[in-house]
Amino acid sequence: MSPLNRKTLCALSSALCFGAGNAMADVVLVVSPRSPLVALSSNQITDIFLGKTSRFPNGEHAVPVDLAEGSAERNEFYRKFADKTPAQIKAHWSKIIFTGRGQPPREAAHDNGVKKMVAVNPGYIGYIERSSVDEKVRVVEVQE
Amino acid sequence: MKRHSIGVVLLAILSCNAVAAELALPEPSIFSFSGYGTLGLAHSSEHKADFVNNDLQARGAGRSRDWSAEVDSRIGAQVSAQFTPQTSAVVQVTSEQRYDGTYAPAVEWANIKYAVTPDFSVRAGRIVLPNFLVSDYRKVGFANVWVRPPVEVYSLVPLTNSDGIDISWRKRFGEVSNTVQLSYGTSSAKVPNGDMVSGEVSGKRGRGIFDTIEYGAATLHFSYFLSDLTIGSYKPLADGFRQFGAQGNAITDKYDPDNKPFSFIGVGGMYDPGKWFVAGEWGVIDTNSAFGKRAAWYASGGYRIDKFTPYVSYARASVKSNTSDPGLTVPPYYPLATQQQAAALNSKLNQVLSNAPVQETISLGVRWDLARNTALKLQYDRSNNGAGSPGTLNNVQSGFTPGGIFNVFSITVDFLF
Repeated sequence: MSPLNRKTLCALSSALCFGAGNAMADVVLVVSPRSPLVALSSNQITDIFLGKTSRFPNGEHAVPVDLAEGSAERNEFYRKFADKTPAQIKAHWSKIIFTGRGQPPREAAHDNGVKKMVAVNPGYIGYIERSSVDEKVRVVEVQE
Repeated sequence: MKRHSIGVVLLAILSCNAVAAELALPEPSIFSFSGYGTLGLAHSSEHKADFVNNDLQARGAGRSRDWSAEVDSRIGAQVSAQFTPQTSAVVQVTSEQRYDGTYAPAVEWANIKYAVTPDFSVRAGRIVLPNFLVSDYRKVGFANVWVRPPVEVYSLVPLTNSDGIDISWRKRFGEVSNTVQLSYGTSSAKVPNGDMVSGEVSGKRGRGIFDTIEYGAATLHFSYFLSDLTIGSYKPLADGFRQFGAQGNAITDKYDPDNKPFSFIGVGGMYDPGKWFVAGEWGVIDTNSAFGKRAAWYASGGYRIDKFTPYVSYARASVKSNTSDPGLTVPPYYPLATQQQAAALNSKLNQVLSNAPVQETISLGVRWDLARNTALKLQYDRSNNGAGSPGTLNNVQSGFTPGGIFNVFSITVDFLF
């Protein structure tokens, strides 16, 4: 199924797309092509996205961008790197929100939104479906 | 978590320049609103005393109600504001059963935070007292796997906040993150009438140092907290003893929690790689008074199977100080009224001393994440009280036999909004 077809399907039936996406999501981390960041470890990725650090390993300020709650890519991202379910991620943020220690990452509605935000801000980092990658963003390697 | 559009407008007015720098990006608004709540029912097999979530509750399950909705139910609402990248504020109001049995809303936190750097911040106002591993979210049912944090440990310090300041400094060493918190402030709470601990409890000059080490899925937490403790309800007993001259004065000086040095030492750890978790905590308080020196610990673990998390915990509370005292000795040639007065005081003192919880509990439970932002939990606790102790039970009725076994069944629905 080409990405275009999937998007069409998405518009037709979000429920169907959610189911299909769950099985197929291949998520990659992306930054601005202007970012010096090359690679991150799984621990470093989860620390940034779960608010445990506000910096990249090189010391630069890191701003994570999430996809909207319920999106297949988001669920896959946290399953893959943090081994956590959406409910666990929600529980994690409720621990932080309810003392005012922080707020969850800003969200983009879809891959294009992530690309738009990341493209112009070298400090931003997001994740999108691999097939959405284009010249606006650069994929970050994951060190195992 | 809703973001209010009024924030967007304010942001636009306040910081046009900042927005212009990152054109075309939706900036998060200044204000965010979030809330949490729990609807719960608890049943206790002990009908001559109340099972309570903490000592600040007037009623519980068992004696007051067979099935009580008042043990775990609560609701909390919070507004956070990010005024500038450095300055933020939070106000949280909770409604839960209070010392007087009402649900009048209380301000849980209300503080303003200034982040000198993203890793170094100062807060002033009403701030969480982070004595325990889950202090930050002990009231947020959704954030915890259990129905409630183990009562043996968490009842050591039932006060959850402090009015004052704190400083937090986070430093990373490779992938290890270390956060040191220093706090100074005053805490106080009203506690129910009709129990040993009635009236107001206050901790003045509260000084704490807390350290949290995080590495991947592992968290370690250390606490050391000191304050000047006053438990107002003891005063009649203190005054009563003082009528007996030097002997009575000595007893009151030893046992009256009137500006007595209070200390808490705690160590906690959690490992939660996702599929399963283990957690444990140990703490000890010294009240330097009739409320004694008490210790407690728990160990807990669970395994996640899709949306279900079955878990098991073991908790234990013990007393490290004397639970009885001979009290006043009045020579036999004194008037009968004096003899009786002394005996009554001695009996009251010994009631307070023996009220210290000695208890062990095995808990089995399951959390079911049944819908978005909603979790259903079932928990069974089997508690065994130490000889002569009512354990963590409150509102003990005449005819209650200390040192027994009781069972608690709980069902809760936790939600976020």
